[in-house]
Amino acid sequence: MGIHARPAAEIAKMAAHYKSEVILSVNNKTANAKSLILMIALGAKNGTELVLSVNGEDEDEAFEAIGRFIVNNFNEV
Amino acid sequence: MSTKVYQCMKKIHASIESNKDFLTELDSAIGDADHGNNMSRGFTEVVRQLPQDNEDIGFILNKVGMVLLSKVGGASGPLYGTAFMKAGKQATGKEHISAEDLSGMLAAALDGIKYRGKAVRGEKTMIDALEPAAEAFSKGMGENRTIEACLGMACAAAKEGVDYTKTIRATKGRASYLGNRSIGHQDPGATSSLIILEAVRDFYLQM
Amino acid sequence: MVGIVIVSHSRKAAEGIFELAVQMAGENHNIVACGGMEDGGIGTDAIQIKNAVLKVYSNDGVVILADLGSAILSSQAAIELLDDENMKVIIADAPVLEGAVSAAVQAYIGGDIKAVVEAAELAGHTSKLC
Repeated sequence: MGIHARPAAEIAKMAAHYKSEVILSVNNKTANAKSLILMIALGAKNGTELVLSVNGEDEDEAFEAIGRFIVNNFNEV
Repeated sequence: MSTKVYQCMKKIHASIESNKDFLTELDSAIGDADHGNNMSRGFTEVVRQLPQDNEDIGFILNKVGMVLLSKVGGASGPLYGTAFMKAGKQATGKEHISAEDLSGMLAAALDGIKYRGKAVRGEKTMIDALEPAAEAFSKGMGENRTIEACLGMACAAAKEGVDYTKTIRATKGRASYLGNRSIGHQDPGATSSLIILEAVRDFYLQM
Repeated sequence: MVGIVIVSHSRKAAEGIFELAVQMAGENHNIVACGGMEDGGIGTDAIQIKNAVLKVYSNDGVVILADLGSAILSSQAAIELLDDENMKVIIADAPVLEGAVSAAVQAYIGGDIKAVVEAAELAGHTSKLC
């Protein structure tokens, strides 16, 4: 499942809570996960690999929370 | 007893109503085909909402502008709305308008339209009728003519402006999407400007 | 929260876009839809827009998303009607629907007016097709 607008909005809202930088990547294309539009533009299609990277002082909680959300909502990951 | 300004607005309204289909026809050729209906809706509301007994001309014209901003619907709403409001500012507190006042009001109205629409002469808009009209009125004043005569000169210049719009391409507004296909059609906005000016002239002539 | 005003010539369009924006942002939003004429017809009404701005205005300011042509003119006229030069109201140079959705999320997460405008305008610059 591609990153549709609703889940992308949820990710953006979650990511905004954390101080860390949160990046989503698909096939070497990256997007700031705090931006709805940039995530949608990633154009992740069915079966592609989504890579989440988090970097910053609260990276552990951020990774945990956002990672869980992605796993629960994007079964191909 | 209704004031002169109110009567003048009624005259404009009547003129717009009788030209409504014509304006719509012009707008069908190079626009959204709604100019006639939009102007009709706007001026019908003007007549409905204007106080009939307030003598402050500036106040009344400002009200006219506000109604047009809200009730016309298309681009002419904010354009004519701004024009009337700017003209009204020139006449705040006045119960009589001199030729000089009227000249200032025309200039202010024109400036308002240029500011709002970001257009200049030669782009096939109402400015092509109003700018020559304002200039002609000014010229008439310089020659010490009466208000009626100045208005006559203004209308003649506006008419020429409308005819001129037939010959040029639109580079502003909805008509600009047609590019060269807009040539040969007179601009609906310039036409409604002429209609309004002629109504004001006729109003003065019969006063 | 930065307020968002959605302006369209069509009331249905404005309300539909509002619905989408609220779905994305959440229950606690500061968005208002403004569309069509009071008589239900197609067109824009500068006074309606001004009232919409006042409805969602706060010190965080307001961003307007408008559809085409005269919606922009009406929005500009509406801003002037506010009569207070210190009010922060910006018309985003963005597509009305995608811009509103992007702006709504950005406002929701606490972006300032500059960030909300940028988010809206990014929607206009980003390619849709992959």
